[in-house]
Amino acid sequence: MIVVGIDTSTPQTSVAIGSDLEVLASVSIAGRARQESVTPALQQLLEWSGVDLQRVGGVAVGIGPGLFTGLRVGVETAKTLAQVLGIPIVGITSLDALAFMVRYTSRRIAAVVDARRGEVFAAVYRAVPGGVVRETDHLVVKPDHLVAELQAVPGEVLCVGNGAILYRREIEELGSRVEFASASLAHPEAASLVELAAPRFLREEHDRLFDVVPMYIRKSDAEIAWDQRARGAQG
Amino acid sequence: MRAELRAETADDTRAVGEALAGLLRPRDAVILTGELGAGKTTLVQGVARGLGVTEQVASPTFTLVREYRGRLEVAHVDVYRLEKIQDVMDLGLEELGGGEAVLLVEWGDAVEEVLPADHLTIELTHGDEDEVRRLAFTPGGRTWVERWDRVEEALAPWSGR
Repeated sequence: MIVVGIDTSTPQTSVAIGSDLEVLASVSIAGRARQESVTPALQQLLEWSGVDLQRVGGVAVGIGPGLFTGLRVGVETAKTLAQVLGIPIVGITSLDALAFMVRYTSRRIAAVVDARRGEVFAAVYRAVPGGVVRETDHLVVKPDHLVAELQAVPGEVLCVGNGAILYRREIEELGSRVEFASASLAHPEAASLVELAAPRFLREEHDRLFDVVPMYIRKSDAEIAWDQRARGAQG
Repeated sequence: MRAELRAETADDTRAVGEALAGLLRPRDAVILTGELGAGKTTLVQGVARGLGVTEQVASPTFTLVREYRGRLEVAHVDVYRLEKIQDVMDLGLEELGGGEAVLLVEWGDAVEEVLPADHLTIELTHGDEDEVRRLAFTPGGRTWVERWDRVEEALAPWSGR
């Protein structure tokens, strides 16, 4: 089964085509968010790899946590594709994808994505045969809180993601038991999403289209307490 | 810590904003409170001018967010028309100006929980005369407490009136 992967949850835009067996084509553009490149990139990859769009059997999309603006475009593009082609979709978190990318380690894995304004999204994983298992919630924390979290993690830690690179100095306070994954693994790769999602499509463990939404860790259904506004309207 | 000022005219309110601008750094957040017509947008006009923004600064009530670029990136936000906390989060404020913008948030006190924890609060109220405004500045968080001496110094011309 051919799967299209799309990730726009960080300043890298990544698109890939592949199956459970191989990556057929992938492109990643980093630097600043270029989510508008998703559709042209996909068209180009289909053309280069000679894959007919009608052969695509599933869409894997990065749902964050990450940068809101890019995420929204990537998720909507993926959902549109799934709806138009009538194919299933799977949403994968940015931190799950990053941890999966460095799963060949005996260390605990800390996936860390820059959340802007001095905060990071982070979660801790451990590698298991065939993948990774998340051991914490998805957190949004300041770097010093992350360091405190990692302090409590037993043994050696491998940090991966653009947040780990950005706050490397702070994290290095933990000393020699911390190691950093290379910059080429700083962002969730769409090819990894394809790899992660392909078995789920085969097992028909896909998500419902309307359940696939950008992941906001600070999500809130609360109403704004607008007593001031009422006062303003009266005055 | 609290600084209380008196601005005589709308232009004077702008001058206060201009004085504050000199102390602003990327990623700063300023919450503006006060009823309709209290001068929140007027104050922002002064801040923008102080930051070298040459564009006309208009109220963002209907656009929710207006972005400007001067010495720093500036995002002028008004949450007055929003109903849910999630609506504020959907603005993606932390990403404006490449994540570096100074946020100036009108009515921000109602949604403080989703704004940066470190922020300056400015409360504007009508004074005893038509154009006179009272402004109360309160620092929130370390980044504002640390520069409070300089804030007071910059605002000294308007304080104690």
